Amino acid sequence: MSREMITLENVTRVYNQGRPNEVRPVDEVSLDIGHGEILVLKGPSGSGKTSLLALIGCMIRPTSGRILVAGRDVAKLPERFLTGVRRDTFGFVFQQLHLIPGISVLENVMLPLYPLEIGFTAAKRRALELIEQLGLAHRKGFKVEALSGGERQRVAIARALINAPQAILADEPTAHLDAGLSGELMQIFETLRGQGKTVVIATHDPLVHDSPLIDRVATMRDGRILDGDG
Amino acid sequence: MGSYHLGRHLKILEFALSSMLRRRTKNLGLVLVFAALVFLLSSIVFLTGALRTEALATLEASPQLLVQRAMAGRHALIPLDYGELIARLPGVGSVTPRYWGYYYDIYTGANYTLLGIGDQGLESPGSTPLRLVEGSFIMPGQRRVCLIGEGVARVRGTRIGGMVSLRDARGWMQEYEVIGLFASPSRLLTNDLILLPEADLKAHFGMPDDRATDLMVEVYNPHEVDNISRKILERLPDARPISHAEIQRTYETLFNWRGGLLLAMFLGAMAAFMILAWDKATGLSADERREIGILKAIGWETSDILELKLWEGAALALVAFLAGVTAGYAHVQRFGSELLMPVLEGWSTLFPAIDLAPQLDPYALGVLFSLTVVPYIVATVVPSWKAAITDPDRVMRAS
Repeated sequence: MSREMITLENVTRVYNQGRPNEVRPVDEVSLDIGHGEILVLKGPSGSGKTSLLALIGCMIRPTSGRILVAGRDVAKLPERFLTGVRRDTFGFVFQQLHLIPGISVLENVMLPLYPLEIGFTAAKRRALELIEQLGLAHRKGFKVEALSGGERQRVAIARALINAPQAILADEPTAHLDAGLSGELMQIFETLRGQGKTVVIATHDPLVHDSPLIDRVATMRDGRILDGDG
Repeated sequence: MGSYHLGRHLKILEFALSSMLRRRTKNLGLVLVFAALVFLLSSIVFLTGALRTEALATLEASPQLLVQRAMAGRHALIPLDYGELIARLPGVGSVTPRYWGYYYDIYTGANYTLLGIGDQGLESPGSTPLRLVEGSFIMPGQRRVCLIGEGVARVRGTRIGGMVSLRDARGWMQEYEVIGLFASPSRLLTNDLILLPEADLKAHFGMPDDRATDLMVEVYNPHEVDNISRKILERLPDARPISHAEIQRTYETLFNWRGGLLLAMFLGAMAAFMILAWDKATGLSADERREIGILKAIGWETSDILELKLWEGAALALVAFLAGVTAGYAHVQRFGSELLMPVLEGWSTLFPAIDLAPQLDPYALGVLFSLTVVPYIVATVVPSWKAAITDPDRVMRAS
């Protein structure tokens, strides 16, 4: 069994292959990500950070190459198994947060547990614990659209953690936060690392990639990781 | 484990209902359109069912075999000596002439059926399935009296002891004293039928003494009805034997929603299809696609999303179906099918007003369910399935 949690071997993702508008957001990327590591994928807009994050998190499949999660090649797994890997291994914090408006903070956090074999009461208890840990207990019944940007960010993190994932994947998590809130967010990631979780952050925010809490930075450009970063 | 498994479905159901509430305006609109469609279709089903039941109720006590005479393809009075010939056929129990005719009442604009009651009274074979609720029957030899149904009494505003005036074949007004009111399993009968002494009826219509309207034939063995019909035709080529079963089949065909009003059903189904096509063509809104992408990204499987959409579609369709069927039933039961009766123009002008009792035909309701609820659920699930099998990343980026 690999000591690396996630390994990418020559992973390429191509859209519109063979057509004039063919694009390669991720091109021949190889990368090892260890357990309990905070890794930042850095690069300008369009460099392929989000696509690489989606590949790592099994949201899309590579056109070629291998992706090993805990030593298991997931690239060619059938959809159902891939969903299982995604659900059991990863928690996502999206750039746009992608919370569901019209329902409460508690329901948003519980949402990943709905299709699982876990009772409603247990699911609610777990969600309330996370909401409490992230300082949102007083907001649990609020609809998400009534929250501030920082509060919404924490709801998204709580939802990402509800399945007790081994890794958190965050795409531009500070895009809508001021410096103070960005600092708080980094502290949360630091806490998660302390719990043994791997954190992969795609960002071009210097507050994140220059933070002393980061273990490693991989710089991306034109779908590739620059030499020496992988 | 079992309760956990059930809990999983309940949680998805709860989220489905919550999602529907979030889109309450759109869903309410869909429910209203859907329910209106089901209302129309179920009204047709209930109305035709009621008409069929009414018609079949009139047949309950009708003779096994009815013999009419046809002349130039039309119903003509039948000579009584035809009855003597038929009575001699092996297997024939009895032959009873029947005297009846239609009467158009210019004052009420209704068409009544006048039926002559002979000395055998109402208990004779093949007489109508009527039940006296007030007054007395027509006694042998009694003249210038009549029995009317409760519906006729109501329309004409008369009771026992009142008079019913009818213009006879010579154009003279004849008055008949109402001596009894009857009820019937069929409201068609109580709204349409007037019973007169046979002699009065023959005089009223100016019928020759040697003719009747038709002949009721009792056959010993019901399995021999067709055989006796054939023999009658061999001996009397201008006779038209009609068996009970044939009349029943005709009524079934005439009033069955699959027959007479199939066109209306078809148009309704087309309307349903257009709504569904619209719903399908518009597909999912950007919000719905995005939501499916989010659910996939946070670990929902395609089957979980299909279950969610199935619950949503089923809940909406069932609510609309039940509302539509209930409204349809009330329309026929409480409001006399006011919206549909103009379609049946002939009936409404020829007959007095009829209060129909709708019939709950499980088969018809099942077909209605299949024509509306099932296609709607399929149309709801298909675009969701298309979105759910796409990579969640793509679904979210597309929105």
